[in-house]
Amino acid sequence: MRPLLLNRNLNLNLTLLLALTLFLSAPLLSQRSTLYVSVVATKLFVVGAANPQTGVFYRYTAGDSAWEHTGAVNIRAFGVAVPPNDSGKTIYVASGNGVHKSTDGGSSWKITTGWNITEVLGVAPDPHDFRTVYCATAYGVFKSTDGCATWNEMNAGLQEKFVTCVLPDRFTRGRVYCATEGGLYESSNGGIRWTHSALSVPGVRVVAQHPTNPSVLIAGTEEFGVYVSRNGGKSWDRSEAGMDHPTFYAVTFDPNHPDTVYAGGYITGVYRSTDGARSWMRINDGLTQLNIHAIAVDPTDGRRVFAGTMWGGVFESYDGEPWRCIGLEGSEVWSMVIQPF
Amino acid sequence: MRNALAVAIALVTVSSGLNAGQSEREKYLEGFAQRVRYLSSAYDTSLTGGYYAAAARYAHRADIRTADSIFSAMLREPRGDMFWMFPCIGAYLHGKDVMSPETRAVVRNAWKTYAPYRGDTENHWAMYYSTLYLAAEQWPGLPGSEWYNGKSSDENREEAKEYLIHWITITTTIGQGEFDSPDYFPEYVVSMSLLADFAQDAAMKQRGTMMMDYLLADFAAEHLDGQYLGGFSRIYQPAVYKPLLSGASAFAYLYFGTGEPSQSVWALLPALGEYRMPKIIYDIATDRSRPYVHRERKRVRNVIRFGTDKNPPVYKYTYVTKDYGIGSLQGGILQPIQQHTWGVRYTYGRPYTTIFGLHPYWSSLELGMFFPEEIKPLMADVVGSKSTYNNRDKWTGGSPYERTFQHKNTLLVLYDIPPGTTTEHIDGFFPRNLEERILDPSGWILCKAGDTYVGWYPLQPGEWSEEGIATGQVKNSIGRPTDIPRSAREGNWRFRSYKPHNGYVIEVRSKEEIGSFTSFCAALRKRTPVAVLKPGSVSVTYTTLGGDRMKFSFPDGRWLNGRPVDLTKTKLFDGPFLNAEVGSQMLTMRHGNAKRILDIKSLMVTE
Repeated sequence: MRPLLLNRNLNLNLTLLLALTLFLSAPLLSQRSTLYVSVVATKLFVVGAANPQTGVFYRYTAGDSAWEHTGAVNIRAFGVAVPPNDSGKTIYVASGNGVHKSTDGGSSWKITTGWNITEVLGVAPDPHDFRTVYCATAYGVFKSTDGCATWNEMNAGLQEKFVTCVLPDRFTRGRVYCATEGGLYESSNGGIRWTHSALSVPGVRVVAQHPTNPSVLIAGTEEFGVYVSRNGGKSWDRSEAGMDHPTFYAVTFDPNHPDTVYAGGYITGVYRSTDGARSWMRINDGLTQLNIHAIAVDPTDGRRVFAGTMWGGVFESYDGEPWRCIGLEGSEVWSMVIQPF
Repeated sequence: MRNALAVAIALVTVSSGLNAGQSEREKYLEGFAQRVRYLSSAYDTSLTGGYYAAAARYAHRADIRTADSIFSAMLREPRGDMFWMFPCIGAYLHGKDVMSPETRAVVRNAWKTYAPYRGDTENHWAMYYSTLYLAAEQWPGLPGSEWYNGKSSDENREEAKEYLIHWITITTTIGQGEFDSPDYFPEYVVSMSLLADFAQDAAMKQRGTMMMDYLLADFAAEHLDGQYLGGFSRIYQPAVYKPLLSGASAFAYLYFGTGEPSQSVWALLPALGEYRMPKIIYDIATDRSRPYVHRERKRVRNVIRFGTDKNPPVYKYTYVTKDYGIGSLQGGILQPIQQHTWGVRYTYGRPYTTIFGLHPYWSSLELGMFFPEEIKPLMADVVGSKSTYNNRDKWTGGSPYERTFQHKNTLLVLYDIPPGTTTEHIDGFFPRNLEERILDPSGWILCKAGDTYVGWYPLQPGEWSEEGIATGQVKNSIGRPTDIPRSAREGNWRFRSYKPHNGYVIEVRSKEEIGSFTSFCAALRKRTPVAVLKPGSVSVTYTTLGGDRMKFSFPDGRWLNGRPVDLTKTKLFDGPFLNAEVGSQMLTMRHGNAKRILDIKSLMVTE
């Protein structure tokens, strides 16, 4: 992983000149972020065939044009998660083969799950406890409390086990949301017991939480558009103004300007709201693939937005300029995450 | 502990008439050996057969240097996921004692550096975990850093063992999910034969051996002249209308000596192994001296959404004679994409030895039941590898708007297709090489295929068109038969009816059963099904050539001679040759005075 290699070089080559150079460029380096992308498949993926490389790719968000691959290929990588606090040493991948974990920045990997956990569609480390990790699967929610050494099924209360997204609340320890085929569920005890939230429309695909206001949640659904709650999930309203599509797989807040929200899904292109998801506008100029499954905003420069498309690779828009493809053409991008290192 | 297990799984043999059986057994084994030699001859000196060319040389202890060279070259760039795992470990296990230390090291390194995808189907997992188990046994005590998945040898062996026992348990209690697939049968046989031949653990070796018996017996009871009979979970085009193209037929040749000589790569590893099929399974596969009804219960592939049960039951009904077999599933969506709900197959007229029908249905919702990807774009994903799926002319696939009711050699099929469904027509396949295809004024379509006669009574009018069939077998990138180019046409017949409330009656008889074709036609002309074909109310009443009165009301109302038919009572296996109760994990095989009981739970075999 390049962030780690940079640190290693620093230790090995501490010359005066380099130190001076780094000192002068430190502010710039500190602004760097890394974009991680999970690619499920590419066009014409066939199990067992000689497929193009899939899995997890990464690159710096700015000043970088080369993608690097980490981990196994051909695993149907649905999700990628990178905790923000350890410089990219820890990486989780949700895949058809289970939950993969690296603790050395991608140099080595282990599949942490067994045969009974499969079709893992998302993985979510608990921001309150680095040893606790949730995963969303086609067979429900599983949780590890020992750094992925062991996993337990956490489906009590779930009437529908097809789960596409688990979201631990960043503000309240033990509070967790999960998006299921049967609606949105919430738990106040770390998934020990789930209860149906007030959002009961079927086919909830994704849920995201406001960066600073724990009461604001946004959910994307299969057929019913985008829903917003401004009271911690007690009630939900469909956010329709300016929206012409029903199916949303991705909703993302700008971490530094939380009233700016992005959403995308099936043939939607990218929608942006600048009023806290009260109204929306499509920003598709330059976007040649309108099936969107992931959107990420650079936490160090909110003008830089990335869209992960289904079979079109990754697109970038900077400061409202038209989208341009920045690579992984032909890839079915499922998730993206950016961390500031 | 291991000794205790070995004792526990010892065969209990109480046999009679050993001497007579022995000579027949020797004859069978000699025939088997000849077929193995023929099969293997395609690989023994091949320089292009990859892992299989290496495996054949290793097994025969011949030209080891070339085998090493081929094996090492293949491992420079491993690919194929679980389709790589089994030939790799198979070749290794046949040759580990004679290959060079350098080649052994290359193989070991491949299992450290190449990470295969586990796959998303039952056959993928059978291959993945059976071979991972064997590999973990071969290289015990290694830490996770020495394996592609970061798990230690112990962790890999235990995980694989757990899954294999789980799969065997579920298969022998509620039935296989990817059941009776002529095209995926080989994947299971290869997996189990490798366990039977090479597992070091005595219990796992016994599991492999017993599951070989189980799978082959399952095939044998629905086998005719090299063909798989009945309804299938999965089959490809063009094998669905050229039955001997299916992979299972290579195993029919190898184990039963039927069908056409085959040198299929799929059969090589089992052929090189030490497993030998029990005589009783051969007898079941080949004795067609008396017609019989054979019933089975299987299960639906894991339903991950849009359903209430994870594995609803599948009910199979197959009628077998020496000339033909007719079989059916109850209908509905029982498997995604490649289901074959019903068909008649017979011994006359290769390669087109079948007549069948279907509603060519597809939907994103159906795919979503079984695959975790997003529903709306899923179609494009699937069509990438299964190009026939959303083709209105396709010849494979189930439909929620199709149901069947079979009694012996009579089959009723009904359709209640709502407006707006992806297709609102039904199709029937009639091969070009039928001796007769008479569109009789009585309404019956009367067909003659050698000594097999098929009558098809459409409940609604339809039209005929000449069908395009490729002259050769077309394969996709992993060697599966796949869609066909429209350029090459031969001219089978398609009967299509555009009425959404529809159905037909199928009667099949052989010359031995009814005499001449003229007699068959005359008998059918006296029979006219009575149908009600309204939206939401589709039914038919019919009296069979055998005099049984069948009444069928869509979707699941079935009456025979006035009494309701309860499919839920269907056993795991139920017929003159095979019997097993649901949940029992015990399969009883019978032929004549011979009996063989597989007690999967205790790993005991009783004869």
